[in-house]
Amino acid sequence: MKLLIAEDTRDLNRALTAVFTHEQYQVDSAFDGLEAMKFIEENEYDAIVLDIMMPGKDGLTVLRETRAMNIDTPVLLLTARAEVDDRVTGLDAGADDYLTKPFAMKELLARVRSMTRRRASQTVKELRFEDVILNTESYELSSGNSVRLSNKEFELMQLLMMKQGRELDTGYLLEHVWEGEPDVPEDTVWLYISYLKGKLQSIDSRTVIVGNRGGSFHLEAN
Amino acid sequence: MNESESITKSVAEPLPYQGNSIYGGHLEDMKVVMEDILSQIDEVRKSMIELRGKDPVDHCLARIKSEESMREKCRNRRLPETPHAALRLIHDAIGIRIVCGFISDIYAIRDRIAEFRNTRIVYEKDYIRHAKSNGYRSYHMILLADGKYYVEVQLRTISMDTWAALEHQLRYKKNATANDTLIASELKRCADELASTDVSMQTIRDMIYGEGDLWT
Repeated sequence: MKLLIAEDTRDLNRALTAVFTHEQYQVDSAFDGLEAMKFIEENEYDAIVLDIMMPGKDGLTVLRETRAMNIDTPVLLLTARAEVDDRVTGLDAGADDYLTKPFAMKELLARVRSMTRRRASQTVKELRFEDVILNTESYELSSGNSVRLSNKEFELMQLLMMKQGRELDTGYLLEHVWEGEPDVPEDTVWLYISYLKGKLQSIDSRTVIVGNRGGSFHLEAN
Repeated sequence: MNESESITKSVAEPLPYQGNSIYGGHLEDMKVVMEDILSQIDEVRKSMIELRGKDPVDHCLARIKSEESMREKCRNRRLPETPHAALRLIHDAIGIRIVCGFISDIYAIRDRIAEFRNTRIVYEKDYIRHAKSNGYRSYHMILLADGKYYVEVQLRTISMDTWAALEHQLRYKKNATANDTLIASELKRCADELASTDVSMQTIRDMIYGEGDLWT
């Protein structure tokens, strides 16, 4: 699980980073809103913990810009005061949850767990990209024609479709599709990308996977 | 052989009715045409073996449609049982099936057939890229040999051939049952799984031989 922590109070940021790292999360730490935005633009996260009051760019602005880029990563807001308006604005801007400072670390961990778990189970029956439909129950990939995908092919295609418009690098794909499987060679990603390229052709689709061996990938329609 | 879609325009001269056979006096000529195409296919296989060390063809079958099934086909299509119908309006009196290992072999052989002596392509159907709704996949070519005899060539992979053979065996149950829709959708699923595997095997071959533009 990859997590972004955006919190300008240095001590709190360090403490949060240490605790989440200890819990086996891969953590990136941002100390202001601009830095947070840069991390979000360049990486794919499974969850983001976002402080509202930050210099450079406040948390609500970061949240709005993130959602405007079609990034639907779960976001938990940290609010300093128990102000109802802040929390309402935050939730309306696309936050998934919030927590008021001061908070118990145990509760933050539980809320992040619950947020990511909820997201994982929220899969829709059909994913669409241009002329391609992926059925998440039957693993059928269809356009003019149809084929059935294997488990790994399905997971890879699902990621590419869910994160459409984003560049997904080989490391990210290896980590998410082959999660918990050590010693998977990097070329595995390229092999599975190649399978999917062939299968998109075989269903007579205009959609292609753009990207080179070892690099980043995204879907595009010709 | 699977039924192919007909073209309304007949290309060669009408045939007079002769003798008792639905093929009139043409059976011997038809055999010669079939043998000629088979020997040209052999030449292609040999040259591809020389080029790549491997035979792209797993096996090749040829047949002239039997008297009875041709008459039956005429009746089904509401055509008179005449040589003209059998040889001009119906295009699979002579049928050749070429079963290949990989999808790319099919297209490579298709390109070579396009250059065959004494024949020209009348029309083609790519049921691989555009599978039939039941899941059937094959590449169909209708050739006109010697400006006279139609030949239907079907190109498939081993997987496509397996599916077609097994589906054919299951199709001939007389009475419809409540499970017909389920059976049809399951057969389609099997076709789509086999098609998926064909693409995977092709990709693996491309990786091994550094072919295609993906692995070079």
